[in-house]
Amino acid sequence: MSEERSFEELQRELDDVVARLERGDVPVDEAIALFRRGEELYRACVERLQAAELRIEELSPTDAPTA
Amino acid sequence: MTVEPAAQTERKVYSVSGFNRGIARTLGKLPAVWVEGEVTELRRNAGWATVFLTLKDPRTGATLNVTIARRTFDRLGLELEKGETVHVAGRAELWEQQGELVLRATTVERLGVGAHLVALEQLKRRLAEEGLFAVARKRRLPRVPRAVGVLTGADAAARGDVIATVGRRFPATKVVVCETRVQGRGAPESIVAALRCLGSHAEVDVVVLARGGGSFEDLLPFSSEPVVRAVAACPVPVVSAVGHEQDTPLCDLAADARAATPTAAGALVVPDEQELRAALEGSRRRLGLAIRTLLDRDTARLARTGDRLHAAPRLLLERRRAALDRSGARLETLSPLATLGRGYAIVRAGGRALREAGAVSPGDALDVELASGKLGARVEEVVP
Repeated sequence: MSEERSFEELQRELDDVVARLERGDVPVDEAIALFRRGEELYRACVERLQAAELRIEELSPTDAPTA
Repeated sequence: MTVEPAAQTERKVYSVSGFNRGIARTLGKLPAVWVEGEVTELRRNAGWATVFLTLKDPRTGATLNVTIARRTFDRLGLELEKGETVHVAGRAELWEQQGELVLRATTVERLGVGAHLVALEQLKRRLAEEGLFAVARKRRLPRVPRAVGVLTGADAAARGDVIATVGRRFPATKVVVCETRVQGRGAPESIVAALRCLGSHAEVDVVVLARGGGSFEDLLPFSSEPVVRAVAACPVPVVSAVGHEQDTPLCDLAADARAATPTAAGALVVPDEQELRAALEGSRRRLGLAIRTLLDRDTARLARTGDRLHAAPRLLLERRRAALDRSGARLETLSPLATLGRGYAIVRAGGRALREAGAVSPGDALDVELASGKLGARVEEVVP
């Protein structure tokens, strides 16, 4: 599972996987692969929610690229 | 000193003083006017009779020197600062000694709310015509931002409200705070720089302008043209939470969403973690249910196929037998033996079936085949 994908993308893919499985027009091998992918996506999403505490970063406007 | 040209050949030549005085006199005939400008310099000294101001046209950079009697200036009690926009009433005047044009002021007014409103209305119309506030330009806020950028002043309340709300709803994110000067002189430039800073941050997916309430003048930087343009040009969506419900700074119109308070802005930019978890659990349940339904269906189909497979050999045999029976029946109807059964006989002469009487002569030997047994015979008579 690549780290740079956003939570939103992961959740959207999970929803897609569920929808495809629910349509039921996939061969059984593919269905099992889809199910595994779905589980993986679910776990990745839940992991993203595990952070215990809000992170805060202070930025100074002088860091801005002067243009 | 004289204004008259000194006669020298045929040329009219003025002395510098003469020229200056002449211009000064002409200028003195001009009517008193009001001039609007930004104060860029202010020199007041208790020992001087005059206060010196420099006004700048913010759009072109043109400058004008202004003088006003110190006593008059002090009586106004303005406590002017550099960067403020003022209206000055006065007449054009030339300082003859330096040939320098000044506006000799009789009064100075800090630009009032009314004048600001007119200027704002004009700017608003101009930017609207340009399409800067068009609904089509508004971007959808990310549902789950990697990081929330917060642009704030030294206003601890607004900043705290955003952070608290984000932290309560969705602690799995990050808040990037950029504190900057949001009111007074230089505020528009600071806000633009801070916006650029947040907009170019690698993780910031949405920016909140968190500025609590303030006086009309305090909130003016958020209506300045550079800030409004920077909001519209920000690479990520911007939520404006500037002022209170009743204020509508122009940055609100250029922002992608507006929140009445910093708390409301916090709720807009992140999802509720509980809801998100519930949605995820729901997805997982459906995932399990879908695969079970699919597998159950496949198992049933497999069982049916198995049954058919087992039944197949028997079916095949039966089908073959039926076909064989049918063939047998047909064969039987065609067989000459069946015809013989009905009382017909086959007559052969020399091993070949006899069809015409003329093919044999009396005395020839014949074989007669009956349904059962054969006869040897001889021809007695031929009737062709």
